[in-house]
Amino acid sequence: MTVLNTRVSLVALACALISPSLWAEDSSLTNPAISAVLNGYYQTGERPLAESPDGFGLGETELALSANIDDIFYGKVTAVVEMHDGDTELNLEEAFIQTMAMPAGFSIRGGRFLSDIGYLNNQHLHTDSFTDRPIAYRAFLGGHYFDDGVRLNYVAPTDLYWTMGVEAFKGESLRAADEHGEREFKNVGVYTLYSKVGGDIGDNSSWQAGLSYLRNENGQVTPHEEHETEDEHEAVEGHDHSHAASYTGQNTYGADFVYKWAPSGNYKYQNLSVSGEYFRVSDFTPTDLHPEDAPSKDYHQGWYLSSVYQFTPSWSAGVRYGEADTQELHDDHFHEQKLKESEVSLAWHSSHFSTVRFQYTHQNGTNFDGIEDDNIFTIQYIMSLGAHGAHQF
Amino acid sequence: MRINSNLAKVAAVALSITYTGLAHAELNVFACEPEYAALTKELAPTANIYSATTAFQDPHQVQARPSLIAKMRQADLVVCAGADLEVGWLPMLQMKSANANVRSTDQGLFFAADQIETLDKLTSVDRSMGDVHAQGNPHLHFDPTRLLKVATALSAKLTQVDPASAVDYQKALADFTTRWQAAVPRWEEQAKGLQGKKVIAYHSSFKYLFNWIGIEQVADLEPKPGLAPTSGHLASLLARAEQGDILAVVVASYQDERGAKWLGEKANLPVVILPMSVGGNDSSQDLFGLYDSVISLLNGVK
Repeated sequence: MTVLNTRVSLVALACALISPSLWAEDSSLTNPAISAVLNGYYQTGERPLAESPDGFGLGETELALSANIDDIFYGKVTAVVEMHDGDTELNLEEAFIQTMAMPAGFSIRGGRFLSDIGYLNNQHLHTDSFTDRPIAYRAFLGGHYFDDGVRLNYVAPTDLYWTMGVEAFKGESLRAADEHGEREFKNVGVYTLYSKVGGDIGDNSSWQAGLSYLRNENGQVTPHEEHETEDEHEAVEGHDHSHAASYTGQNTYGADFVYKWAPSGNYKYQNLSVSGEYFRVSDFTPTDLHPEDAPSKDYHQGWYLSSVYQFTPSWSAGVRYGEADTQELHDDHFHEQKLKESEVSLAWHSSHFSTVRFQYTHQNGTNFDGIEDDNIFTIQYIMSLGAHGAHQF
Repeated sequence: MRINSNLAKVAAVALSITYTGLAHAELNVFACEPEYAALTKELAPTANIYSATTAFQDPHQVQARPSLIAKMRQADLVVCAGADLEVGWLPMLQMKSANANVRSTDQGLFFAADQIETLDKLTSVDRSMGDVHAQGNPHLHFDPTRLLKVATALSAKLTQVDPASAVDYQKALADFTTRWQAAVPRWEEQAKGLQGKKVIAYHSSFKYLFNWIGIEQVADLEPKPGLAPTSGHLASLLARAEQGDILAVVVASYQDERGAKWLGEKANLPVVILPMSVGGNDSSQDLFGLYDSVISLLNGVK
């Protein structure tokens, strides 16, 4: 019901705002910036824990509205239409307000928004250079972690960029699986801390590095119940199509970096970016675990390294390698599983606003969600219309 | 009670010291492009000025990178071309830098294009036209009359954000105006021979310059604004060039020369690389040098 209402009012809102008279005026200050992202693909297989099934499909189709609300608040709404098993779902990925007039480099964001942990997480999927997020994101953050909560951020008045922040979220999508619906979860489940530093190296290069910590009060695995049958287990786990994370724990530590280079710092013709992140999720085993059932490692971990080179204004190529190393609970004991993903992509940009991408993924897994050696080819388009979105570094 | 009121006094004194300290601190100016860093330098010679881009960087495609967020965080005034030139990165910097002083043009934010009538304003914009700006062409710093108007408005803005130095700003503006008004007729005299000449150029980067001097840009190396030259488009330009009335192929310091060089070779036309802004070549160290250099480079192919 809520979903339907949100849909109706959003469409009404969008219709009311997309009037020709508004287009001609300045959208940068008072009038809302309206944009839509169209995203479709065909692929020969499915990446584990990814949101895009094989065959023809639509990725996230996005409709975003943003504007300064008044002289001290900025607001943004991003609605995302997704297809899952034949159903069309409308989700709100962002619906937040942010202060623009707090003194001393502070700002507060509240509502539903993308957490600022890691490098990729606060960016929208359509700005990525690959079809799906790296396996570490898919396993530990449900692809990208957005939630209802609040953030306090501070930017230091230094020439070296230095920002830090603290967030608190409801944490529903990062809850450990609760097969019987009996667990009492904390309703403020997730707290995060992050800090990023960055700067330039001469005219040609820029960099940023960050550290983040995520405390998940509901991340520990629910204790197994002895009388549960295998069927029940399967039925509830089923095919999870929410943005829920598959592997959770009480503490997640992350480190990230990005380096970008362009000749003379001119990004139009050629540029190179290299980025990487590492996540370690710990304290996930149930409290009543028998010592003999303890997993071989008491943490999950995942990382990726990716590089994209745009060699003309119209063409870019990327490579990415990522791994996830997790402990999956089977009945009352843990199975170690591992996935290695090697990917190459080639993208054609007819303009700044349209991309057609070919991607090849080679998966090498040890029992990872049942997937073993697999080759996946994807062809995808991502196009944006409407207001020119400002992209993050 | 006693302690509290003493504390309050101490706090008040501390605050006022901090405030006076800030009032006399150097004015930090963040310029989006080097031409506005140079203009601010003329009008506020003692200010601490940082340019977000160089003459070798396309201001349409700038990364909202960490160093720029850090600089904007500390800025008292942000000076940009406007007319949506920086739409892909300035809003992100404003959001990330959390600097309340530079968030709106009522305060420490200044757009040059807001001060003048831009050329090529469009009543309706469609992306099939390429990456065009509804608010008109933002590369206005090559029009001496418009730039002087911008200087006058920028001086008023400097006074608004830093009223303590009002007298200095007025003096600097008067000095700049005198030198500028003396230079303009000299440039116009030098450029007389260029009047009515035809060029093929890249983008509408030099629209204001050509408009002022009386040069006609008969074709664009870009098939559509923002799109790189294609071989098909270059072939059509070659056909146009073979009519024999083109003076030169003109590109800006941040633009790819390959298409221009190909066309220049095939059509036997000189290719001129003009500095897009201050710092774009050795002789363009300030706005006067930039104008001198651009006119002499164009005269060089006459």
